[in-house]
Parts: sequence; C-alpha cells; structure tokens
Amino acid sequence: MEFTPVLHSEWLKIRTLRSLVAGLCAVPAAVVLFSALAGLDSDGPDFDPLFSVFFGVSFGQIAAIAFATSAVAAEFRGGALRATLAAVPRRGRWFAAKAVAIAVPVLVVGLVTGGVALAVGTAALGTEADGLTVGEELRGAVGCALYLTLMALLAAGLTAVLRSGVATLSILIPFLLIVSFVIGDMSGSVADVLPDRAGQMILHDTGEGLLGPWSGLAVTALWAGVALGAGAWSVRRRDA
Amino acid sequence: MTSIDVHALTKEYGGRRAVDQLTFTVRPGRVTGFLGPNGAGKSTTMRLVLGLDRPTSGSATIGGRPYATLREPLRHVGALLDAEAAHGSRTGRDHLRALAVSNRIPQRRADEVLEETGLALVARRRVKTYSLGMRRRLGMAAALLGDPEVVMLDEPSNGLDPEGIVWIRGLLRRLAGEGRTILVSSHLMNETASFADHLVVLGRGRLLADTPMREFIDARVRPRVRIRTTDATGLRTVLGRHGYDAVEHEEGHWSVDHARVDDIGRLASGAGVPILELAAEEGTLEQAYLELTGSEAEYTAQRQEA
Repeated sequence: MEFTPVLHSEWLKIRTLRSLVAGLCAVPAAVVLFSALAGLDSDGPDFDPLFSVFFGVSFGQIAAIAFATSAVAAEFRGGALRATLAAVPRRGRWFAAKAVAIAVPVLVVGLVTGGVALAVGTAALGTEADGLTVGEELRGAVGCALYLTLMALLAAGLTAVLRSGVATLSILIPFLLIVSFVIGDMSGSVADVLPDRAGQMILHDTGEGLLGPWSGLAVTALWAGVALGAGAWSVRRRDA
Repeated sequence: MTSIDVHALTKEYGGRRAVDQLTFTVRPGRVTGFLGPNGAGKSTTMRLVLGLDRPTSGSATIGGRPYATLREPLRHVGALLDAEAAHGSRTGRDHLRALAVSNRIPQRRADEVLEETGLALVARRRVKTYSLGMRRRLGMAAALLGDPEVVMLDEPSNGLDPEGIVWIRGLLRRLAGEGRTILVSSHLMNETASFADHLVVLGRGRLLADTPMREFIDARVRPRVRIRTTDATGLRTVLGRHGYDAVEHEEGHWSVDHARVDDIGRLASGAGVPILELAAEEGTLEQAYLELTGSEAEYTAQRQEA
C-alpha cells in the first residue's frame, strides 16, 4: 500500500469531524487569550517577558492534546478500528499516517498561534517586551508550534496504547494541570525532564536548570517518540 | 476466480478455543451460508480471514494470499462486521469517502453505493441520526465500495426491516450470479435458507458440515408427502401394498414418510383413488440443523462421560 492515499484518508477523517476541527481552533483561542491576560500582569521578581508572551501555551496544549486524543480514540470506538484496518491492513503504515495527519495540522495551527500570540502578547506587555530580541521572539513562536505538536503526538501515542480517550485524558490533564504546577517550581530536579517542563524551556527567556531551550524540546521529542513507538507496537501486535 | 481458503485455523483466547482446527473453502459463484449458534466462532473466523485477529495456528487466505498482503484490499474483499463501525458524528458519505480514498477507489463509488443501498437521501446526514437498519445498509455500502470479488457479511439482516431483508436476499443472489465469492454468517435458519446455495456449519469452533444446502437438508430430514383424498380406505390399501405407511391427521389430511410426490401421485392415480391435494413437505434447514446439532450435543456428552 502506498502512504499518500492512507494519509489522505486519515486527514479526511479528521476534517470531517466537527469536534476535531473545533478542538484545533481552540488551540490559538486559548493560547492568545491567556497570553494576553498574562501580559497585563507583569510584576514579580522572576518576570520572564518571553514566557509571559507564550504563557497561554500551557492552556492551549490542553486543546492540542484533546484534539490528538479524540482523533486516535475515535478508532477504538465500536468497530471503527476493524473497518479501518480492513481497508489498510499495513498497521504500522496506518498508524504513521494517523500521526502525520495529527501532527501537520497542529504544527500549522501552532505556527499561526505562535505568530498571533507574539503580536498580542508583546502588545499587552508594552515596554516590558522591549528587552526581547527578534531571535528570541522567533524561537518562541516556532517553539510554541513545535511544542504543541510534540505534546499532541505524545497524546496520540498514549491513546493508542490505552485504547481509550477517557483514560488518556484522565492521565494527561491532571498531570499537566496539577503535577507540573505543584512540582514545577522545583527546578533542577526530575521535574525538569517531564515532557511539558522540558519542552517549555523553548518559551523561556532565561534558562535555568539543566536543560536549554532546544535540548529541552529534544527531551519532549523523546517522550513523544517513546509514546508513538509504544502506540505503534500496540496497534501492530494486538487483535483489532 | 477468488476463493477463501481456511486451513487448520485455530484461535485461542486465554486457553479457550474459539476456532478449532477449522478447514473449509468458500468458492465463487454461489452464496455460502455460515451457520452456527452464537459463540460458535463465525465472527472470529471472519476476523481471522481479514487479518484483524492473529491466528494461534493455521492459515486463512484469499485467492491464495493472506489478507494483509493485498495491495488495495477493498478492491478485492468487502466485509461487513459491525454496524457501529462508522463514527456517529461523521456523515455516511464522508465515512465512505475516507474508506475509498485509502484504497484509491474513485469518489463517485461512494455515491454509487449509497444509491445502491438506498441511502442516497440521508448520505449527508450524520450517522448518529441513522436507524439500526440504515447503519446496516451503510455497512453494506462500505462492503460494496471497491466492487470486490469476495464479499463477507456478518449477520447482515440484523436490524433490517422486512423490505431490507428482501433487498439483501436479492443482492446476495445477484452478487453470486456475477461470479463473486459470498460468505454470509447467520444464526437464523429460515433467513439463510432463502439465499444460500452452500453451507458451512460451525459448532463450538469446529466444522460440523460443509455441503450444498439441499444435500445438507436431504441427508438429515426424511422427505414426506402430504395428501388429501375422499377415499381413505382406498388410499391406505394402495399405499400399504407398496410398503408406504400413511398416517391420518386430525385436519383430514394424510402424511406419508420417506416418500416422493412423483411416486405417490402415480400410485394413487393408478389405483383410481381421487386426490384433492398432493404436496411434498420438504425438510427445512431448521429441521436439518437441529438434527445435526442435536447429534453433535449427544456426541460431545458421550465423549465427556467416557
């Protein structure tokens, strides 16, 4: 089987579900809204103008994760996976197509989101944003897109392992909202290599802890890769 | 022409054998009914043929090739497994388009099969608004999408209205007439009898029979003639003379076991016995099936005692 028709099919499946399209649209909405709000409150000793501009990513990632999770979980409802794998029996290829069909729209939406968040966030900060270099701003905007994509892929892989959207979201969302916020302040510990903490280094102006912006993103990529690998293994090995 | 070949197929789930050393061939040009009680292994066998489940041992091939090696499988094999396969929030047409695209089947086929299955009017409505019968029809549309030479349907008439059942029957006959290979599972005997030419019967995962339907019935149900006459004594005498045993029923007709209408009619007319009604009471598939599974149950019971 060729890859392109399978990819086309997976993209069609995403495009034709309103809930998925809505989930994708929620990403820029959440990021821009919360970034703008963060820009209005820019006091504090460890104020980081770049992270303030992309503060909303912490919330936008929930939408990106929900999107990826629902896109994969839809296959595990009813007999959907059987119909899918009867059409595309090369399971590894099918799962790869699914991952690409999730990653590309999130990346594109992420780039747009990064651009808009940058414009809105710096405007909200006003003169406080003057210290940011163009390089840092670009790194943040592109990093925002890459980070959201990697988190979506992490969720996609995990959903394929757990075969349930509810199970995936009930692990990831508390993890992102609670665990990371609670132990997030303890830098220099194991918290630094958690997927969200590591990846968000790309959104920080001042690097502290053991990971820099790009090495942090690489750690998140590793997490996403492991999740996707486990998902692919599960899809290939188990009875549909 | 493409056959489905199942060879020594076995599938165990946690030590329980759902399919046990199954060997049979489904040939083109006829409708093969796949019979057995619920849990006999019919659906499991179909999933194994489609490569959805991995066999514990044995093999299942289509035209000599494992399903998973088919390049664009929907163009060769169409299957209906679950009525719930389509996502409720997608339209029926989009569901078919996504399947078609993956196998490079032209988009117009989606509209053609929607027309053929009587779903054209609801094609752009979301699947969750469909009735159970309409979902079955959408499943049938998906099975026919690639104009496949092999069609496998798991309980296709479930949830269909009487009109839909008649439609399925006609469709199956037509597809077989076009030389396609058709395997249809069911636990409904009368339904299967109305379309099948050949039978594969399963019980507890094992093959119980693989024969033409007519032979299957004739071998198990004794033929019988129903007859009504104004001259009861004359009838009894002439039949008795030729070794037939006629039994009178309360409603006023007689039945003769192990007899064919040709013989009885000729005898009665030769003896000048007036006949008001003469009919063959053919064995039904249900009778034959119960006969088979009855003896199978005895067989297993005896084996367990020994």
